[in-house]
Amino acid sequence: MPFFAGDIFISEVLNKPVLDQTGDEIGRLKDIVVGPGEPFPSVLTLLAVSGRETYVLPWDRINIFNRRVISVAAYLKDLKPAAAQATDILLSRDFLDKQIVDINGAKLVRVNDLKLGEVKGKLCLVAADMGLRGILRRLGLEARGEKFLSLFRYKLPHKLVGWNFVQTVEPKLTRLTLTVSRQKVSKLHPADLAEIMSEISQKERRALFSSLDVDTASEALHELEPRVQYEIINEMTTIKASELLESMPPDEAADILGNLPEERAQQLIKLMEKEEAEDVQELMEHEEDTAGGLMTNEFLAFPPDMTVEEAIKELRLAAPDVETIYYLYVIDESEQLKGVLSLKNLILARPEKRLEEIMKAPAKTVALDAEEKDVAEFISKYNYLAAPVVDENNVMHGIVTVDDVLAYLLPTASQKKRRRL
Amino acid sequence: MKFFDRIRELRSRRFFLALAVLGPGLIAGNAGNDAGGIATYSIIGAREGYGLLWALILNVVALAVIQEMAARMGVVTGKGFSDLVREQFGLKVTLSVMALFIFANLTVTIAEFAGIAASMELFGVSRYLSLPGAALLIWFAVVKGSFKQVERSLMVISLIYLTYVVSGVMANPPWGEVVRQIALPSVRLDRGYILLFITMVGTTITPYMQFYLQSAVVDKGVRIEEYRYVKWDVYAGAFMTGFIAFFIIIATGTLLHPAGVNVDSAEQAAIALRPLAGQFASHLFALGLLNASFLAALVLPLATAYGLSEAFGWESGINRTFREAPQFLGLYTAFIVIGAGVIMIPGAPLITIMFISQTVNGILLPAVLIIMLKLVNDRSIMGEHVNTKWMNIVTWTTSIVIIALTVLLLVMSVMG
Repeated sequence: MPFFAGDIFISEVLNKPVLDQTGDEIGRLKDIVVGPGEPFPSVLTLLAVSGRETYVLPWDRINIFNRRVISVAAYLKDLKPAAAQATDILLSRDFLDKQIVDINGAKLVRVNDLKLGEVKGKLCLVAADMGLRGILRRLGLEARGEKFLSLFRYKLPHKLVGWNFVQTVEPKLTRLTLTVSRQKVSKLHPADLAEIMSEISQKERRALFSSLDVDTASEALHELEPRVQYEIINEMTTIKASELLESMPPDEAADILGNLPEERAQQLIKLMEKEEAEDVQELMEHEEDTAGGLMTNEFLAFPPDMTVEEAIKELRLAAPDVETIYYLYVIDESEQLKGVLSLKNLILARPEKRLEEIMKAPAKTVALDAEEKDVAEFISKYNYLAAPVVDENNVMHGIVTVDDVLAYLLPTASQKKRRRL
Repeated sequence: MKFFDRIRELRSRRFFLALAVLGPGLIAGNAGNDAGGIATYSIIGAREGYGLLWALILNVVALAVIQEMAARMGVVTGKGFSDLVREQFGLKVTLSVMALFIFANLTVTIAEFAGIAASMELFGVSRYLSLPGAALLIWFAVVKGSFKQVERSLMVISLIYLTYVVSGVMANPPWGEVVRQIALPSVRLDRGYILLFITMVGTTITPYMQFYLQSAVVDKGVRIEEYRYVKWDVYAGAFMTGFIAFFIIIATGTLLHPAGVNVDSAEQAAIALRPLAGQFASHLFALGLLNASFLAALVLPLATAYGLSEAFGWESGINRTFREAPQFLGLYTAFIVIGAGVIMIPGAPLITIMFISQTVNGILLPAVLIIMLKLVNDRSIMGEHVNTKWMNIVTWTTSIVIIALTVLLLVMSVMG
């Protein structure tokens, strides 16, 4: 078992001489190979370089490993030059200076330094340094920098993020750590995930996206700007893409399909479940920036003569499939909107009451062809969470929820352009 | 079927998506004609007549090749230039490049504010009024988020430079002589000539524009299949810049050179527009200069702040608060304050400052070019989209010529 004390930053050991048993220099430490570990990758071998030769030194042959001395239990004359494997993960080459996702902070950061430490008797990669301190350490100026900044009463902070809260974005690395990454990334809120995705390159995005489960993927997709959505869907297999669209609310799926080439959209719709596909097709018939284009056609609707008790029972069954359960719409057999009641009204009413007795009638509605701006004003005026959309015969077609118009009023960063250059 | 009619209708918008990838090349090219550019081309025409037109033409070819490289890197990697430098060359190289980047951009920003001051003075407005006003306006235009619209309208106004073309033709230059000097240039190796040469390269091929172009292309999310549109966008941008610069030199070469005017003030530079605008020449000139300076003063601090944030992984974005993105907004603000502040030092020679900024850029350009060449020829980054042989020849020649001239200039300065 090699002897190592305390935590070591990779910048402190890189380029340090690696000695053999007799104290002869084998070479300079070039890089460190790590293998997948749970949750921390552990050190497998050290790469020492002397002139043009590279020596691969297995970790269990290392005697001493600290920032002053690195020594190997071997003799220089017994060692044979070798090369790292193409699939090896090298700390300095593959992680240093690269971008990673800080899961806790939910943002993209750059790795300035890497921290190694002991975990269960093994030397592991435990944290990434993303602060100014890491930059100064790389330049060999940590102590001086700290002193200098203290003149300004500025305390140089330690900005470390534990490797168990880190997600790599480089496609090669994501593939190697797929099982771990899936859990990690799914911890992020879809909106944060979308913002990170809008900041990385296409290849990285593809890799990261393919590591998500369907639910997280569909939520994140909705948050992205149309061009990126198009790109992601276009690159997926048809079956995977149609699954993804199925799991989205129909209004969001319709928006995305509307931006795809005709052939591709036809293909995808054919593969979707019949019911879902019909919902989506219906929505696509409306102008994009009208109430019809914004609405979703999944909402709760009950007949006027249903009792409160029955309605609550029905609500429990239907709730998992709809986005908004706060309003219940009362419609007759010709689908005309008779009235509306809130979830609160329903719960507080006596169980044997019929819905038409407690509903608010007539309900405030918006027309199918109402403009986006008018819908937003309507929702703001009446403080609704959703607005019912009806045609000229008062037949109910769907609801526009507050988050749909909110995105219109205040688009999130990932839906807008990344930069404003 | 109604549904597929709908899809077809949506699809007609795809045409506009193709149009949407255009723009960065035109903007990047056009920005060559900023305050420093106008000053430099005017000085070149006034001092050397048509004597450097041959170099301008070669320069525009180099510009087209280099900007195409930047755009291609953006499309293939999906990463900005600072991103790539940091990931491929590590911390130390990044730090040096960024230090040069800050210095070069700061000098150019100062030059842009000099342009604002000079043009407003032609309208009779004191720089002590115009500069604080402009600085505040720029800061708010960006931070309040209407940057895109401002940028677009300024781009349209910059068509005003086409007046140079009209003016150049109306000045009735001796075309035979122009052609002769382009075909058979008389190259001199004295200090003044070399300095003008380097400065012209520095103003036509600005380092910060390569950063800007690559980021803008990444930003648009251009796919490799759409790349050919971007390529023509870039070439068109380079041609436009060269076309206008050509006629600035023709106009000043015809009107100022024979008279021996040395152009050290904006009034003198404005004489070049007299054939077209007569007594309004100086107002027309002032308007164009103001517009160009304003556009660049808007873009430069922002491009610098973005470039640095990219390299060091800082939070960036103009919709952030100082608390969220202190480095980004701090840099952005500092650039505007220093840029406007330096020009408010009493007696600052405006046209000279604009000229010097371009010289600094000319000297720094080779560093950027060599890094670019290494990146763009790396198969692990660019795959099959590495440079062709002739592109490498053009860019290496450009870099070597600039380095050689810079060394020559330094030697001559030291020898006196």
